[in-house]
Amino acid sequence: MKIGMVSPYAWDVPGGVQAHVKDLANHFLAEGHDVSVLAPALDEEAVAEEFVVSAGRPVAIPYNGAVARVLFGPVAATRVRQWIARNEFDVMHLHEPAIPSLSLLACSIAEGPMVGTFHVAAPRQKVAFAIAPLLEPVIEKLRARIAVSEVARETLTIHLDTDAVVIPNGIDTSFFASANVNPEWKREFTIGFLGRFSEPRKGLNVLMEAVPNLTRAIPNLRVLIAGPGEGLEVMQALNPSLRNRIVFLGRLSEEDKASFLKSVDLYVAPNTGGESFGIILAEAMAAGAAIVASDLPAFESVLGYGKYGLTFTNGDANHLAKQIIKIAKDQKAIADLREQAELGAMKFDWKTVGPEIMNVYQHAQGESEKVTVGSEPRTWLRFLSREDRGELS
Amino acid sequence: MSEFIIGLLITLAFIWYLTFSANRLDRLHHRVETSWANLDSILQRRAALAGEIAHLNEVDPATNLLLTSAAHQARDAEISERSEAESGLSEALKLLRQESDIPELYPEIFSELDSITDRLRTAIAIHQESVTATRKRREKLIIRAFRLAGRAPLPITYPFEDDVL
Repeated sequence: MKIGMVSPYAWDVPGGVQAHVKDLANHFLAEGHDVSVLAPALDEEAVAEEFVVSAGRPVAIPYNGAVARVLFGPVAATRVRQWIARNEFDVMHLHEPAIPSLSLLACSIAEGPMVGTFHVAAPRQKVAFAIAPLLEPVIEKLRARIAVSEVARETLTIHLDTDAVVIPNGIDTSFFASANVNPEWKREFTIGFLGRFSEPRKGLNVLMEAVPNLTRAIPNLRVLIAGPGEGLEVMQALNPSLRNRIVFLGRLSEEDKASFLKSVDLYVAPNTGGESFGIILAEAMAAGAAIVASDLPAFESVLGYGKYGLTFTNGDANHLAKQIIKIAKDQKAIADLREQAELGAMKFDWKTVGPEIMNVYQHAQGESEKVTVGSEPRTWLRFLSREDRGELS
Repeated sequence: MSEFIIGLLITLAFIWYLTFSANRLDRLHHRVETSWANLDSILQRRAALAGEIAHLNEVDPATNLLLTSAAHQARDAEISERSEAESGLSEALKLLRQESDIPELYPEIFSELDSITDRLRTAIAIHQESVTATRKRREKLIIRAFRLAGRAPLPITYPFEDDVL
């Protein structure tokens, strides 16, 4: 099958959606499908993947607590047209088509079998969906919609009044399961945190607030913080006697991340919001980590409502400390949790997720139909010939 | 003169909007056709598989009759009665699943049935969504006033009971 994928965000900037597109493209390529990805790129030379076509330089706008690099405009539109016309895709997969960027542009330009995946979950953030009435005629063109989680699906139902099939994000579970244990990260009782901790929604401050309580119950506690950012501010806010408990590891490579998740005694995800899926939890599960996470709906769902990891009341440092202490003293409970998590991660493996997405592609595909560039004269022709259309079921 | 130009512009804009709306509706109708064709083909495959299961050696005559007739009914049903007939077939298959050991004897056939059932769920969800979107659109005043739907019949939803699948 010839598949075209469109990423709304810059390819050479790390991000969840881009990572998903990349893995999905690689998965289908490995299965022998023909895949081309259209994405904005800051530096076209820096794009290593052969299957990626650059649509131009994106602009930076603040969005959902982070900076999103998006792309639109006449030049991008021309590139989209050329890309579609040149490739004759059997199906076009648009990621995040409700964000005013490349995917939305491609959706408005193209006609034919199209599938959209909605990643974002923003039940309260109305601004992002203020253009919903304008989006409707465009989004309507999608033959099938995929939401990455129940929360993302709800967002879709509320703001765009349309339903979707829920298919989770995929991960390569074997990569995490086979990671090496780093003894340095296993020394004493280690609690791991991973993420851009300078962003408040990642919730590091909740974990820091719990540290005094934790050290009282767990004397040999060490908190390992991985991720890009400056740790000075975090340290200054902390009682000096506790500072030697905190270790900053900086940004980790993918291999180190897997090893980190596998090595730490407990993995904590205290995120306070803005998460639509929580891929990191799925990855931690695949690595067989014992997880304590905030009770965001997306997290609860990934963790199988307590089956694959513990949750605590979002933002409540005392409850977090309580949950950690409860499990830290119970080696068997930790071992059970690790085992369950690793089993539960299978449903996020590409081997499970890939065929589900392919199934949706097949549903979107009409009989020997291709994705084409919609053109005005054709619109008129279709309009004039519609009286002769066949019967509709 | 300027009134004339403004009037002309408004008329043109209105004509454009009519075309635009008709085009949207046309696309929606096409979406329903596609999603129904997919759903229908999966249902046909399931009925064929049910027929195959009915003729296995270990299936007793009563169950055979039940399955074959359910499969036939599902195949021959009018579109408006289709979901009811298909539910009957789901019910019959479920009964066979729960009350006999035949599934263990033919793991291949039954794992195929499982994968068809999974695909069926997705197909129903996608079809349902396209039908709802189309029906909602056709209720719009502009669509009804200018009869933009032409002679295309109103698409029929495919009601189904989740638990019998």
